[in-house]
Amino acid sequence: MTIIFALGVAALFGAGCYLLLKRDLIRLIVGVVLIGNAANLFIMSSALQRGPAAVLPVSGSFADPIVQSMTLTAIVISFAVSALMLALTYRVYGAHASVDIEQLVLAEEEELERDEAESSAEEEAAQGGQPVSERLLPHERESSLHLATMPGMMERLDR
Amino acid sequence: MMIALPIAILWFGAVIMSMLDGTRKHNGWLAVGILAGALAATGVLAADVLRHGVQEMRLGDWGPGISIALRVDALGILFALLSLTVLLIALLYEVIDDVGARIFPALVLFMALGLTGLFFTGDAFNFYVFFEISMIAAYVMASYGETPRQFRAAFIFIVVNLLGSVLFLIGIAAVYHTTGWLDMVRIQERMPLVAENPAILTATIMFVAFGIKLGLFPFHFWLPAVYTGTRPAVAAILSGALANIGSYGLLRFGADLFPRELSQGSEVLLFLASASVIYGAIQAIGRSAPNEVLAYSSIGQVGYILIALGIGGQAGYTAAIVYAVLNALNKTLLFLSVSMRGWVVGAAFAVGAFSVAGVPPIAGFLGKLGLFQVAVDTHRPWLVVLIFIGGGLSLYYMFELYRRRFWIPGEDEDTAGAVRVLVAVLAICIVLIGLWPEPLLRLSQQAAAVLPERVP
Repeated sequence: MTIIFALGVAALFGAGCYLLLKRDLIRLIVGVVLIGNAANLFIMSSALQRGPAAVLPVSGSFADPIVQSMTLTAIVISFAVSALMLALTYRVYGAHASVDIEQLVLAEEEELERDEAESSAEEEAAQGGQPVSERLLPHERESSLHLATMPGMMERLDR
Repeated sequence: MMIALPIAILWFGAVIMSMLDGTRKHNGWLAVGILAGALAATGVLAADVLRHGVQEMRLGDWGPGISIALRVDALGILFALLSLTVLLIALLYEVIDDVGARIFPALVLFMALGLTGLFFTGDAFNFYVFFEISMIAAYVMASYGETPRQFRAAFIFIVVNLLGSVLFLIGIAAVYHTTGWLDMVRIQERMPLVAENPAILTATIMFVAFGIKLGLFPFHFWLPAVYTGTRPAVAAILSGALANIGSYGLLRFGADLFPRELSQGSEVLLFLASASVIYGAIQAIGRSAPNEVLAYSSIGQVGYILIALGIGGQAGYTAAIVYAVLNALNKTLLFLSVSMRGWVVGAAFAVGAFSVAGVPPIAGFLGKLGLFQVAVDTHRPWLVVLIFIGGGLSLYYMFELYRRRFWIPGEDEDTAGAVRVLVAVLAICIVLIGLWPEPLLRLSQQAAAVLPERVP
């Protein structure tokens, strides 16, 4: 019995890890959920034997109720967290119009380049003593960044 | 009853706050009031615990071994006080500076609830539940600010930390399987009877889980991504309050429940800790964004906590606790002050920077001093050299950051005067702790006395 459970846990964990390495965020979430379920199965398998009842003195042998309540709690928690992750994925999709990790990495690199160009310009300006008015104000910088990284959002607004 | 009071205040407070609009000033102040009330209740409880020893409360009043226990000792209460203080400072900062999202004050209260609960619980599974409460609050907080970068960072944060939580859950199931108990005192009694291999495996899983939370060297990848570009208050909360889960967890599970495994693995811990110190410092030197420098700096700083833990013994544990407390305060001060300009803030930042580097009159020196002491006492000269090098490197990157932030003239971001006062008060507190260290040292010794003695 233990070996079957061990194989089950291993299969779930392995499948979860495989999905974690995928490019699609949705698959990634499914992978996390599978790994969470591997943990749940592991908790269940940590008390497979039967024994006398814990609280009430009744005859017969029973399964351990503690692992079951633990698993139930863990299921509820992982349910809440996966709902949160899906909501966040939706916000990521809203910001980038994509749930592909490579697209997100591209957007990240673009942002970094822009930031670096900005900060070096700022330092030069500060050292060269140029007037402050020539530089972008913080809110202008931010809004241009939003427009550049949210093409999908703009399209949807246009529609 | 007194034990449940801080948890009850936070629990009801958080639920009520989540129904109110947190962006309004008076609701923000209500949240501050609730948090201050919980901190006061914890303070009263702390006085009780420090005078009369461990306090215990059995939920539902079932017999021993059946009911779930809340158990507060000096170690737990110290970390609870620290975390609530950091959360209160960060919440005050955000409320004075205008809250940007209506859920933010409620999230801070939920995180305070989770942290207080996990420092107070005497049950390994309840530890997990409270830990998840505070982690979920942190997941939502990581996306506070709602720019595309923060959504991506929050996603990384959730996935990595969820894996850490799952590992911790597996560790707890393994502990239950091998010892048959979830109550921490019973686990501690039974652990020496467990065969060596399963015990080592379980301890390793726990170590990885807390290493992820703490952002130690091989498990740190999420940390710079989340801290860069986040709001200063959120960064302060994550590094000053949430990271306490990692240090407390390592002390509680490592030193308290797995003392034998901790001493067996001490060389590995020292190696990882040294790698963390050096790696964090070198990466911090190479970065230019302020939050990124501080993020790598905190990877380096937690290395020192792990060094003290790896050396072990009462002196080592005391040094680890002192360092954890000071590191949380330093990081809160630095993350809050680096986003502002002006000479008051500049001075406060300098205090934090010197504290991180361990320059004598300021509190950070105490942490380094404790580490020196244990390193010399246990005849590890290379550790002394390492701590010196780490301190020198951190002075360098902190000074670089100070130069970039406060010496180059730039537009003065309009921050309220009260926020500057808050940061200045925190800086003065850190200086005062450095000048009058006895209370903190005595508290830490008392907290370390909770943990079982072992030959270093």
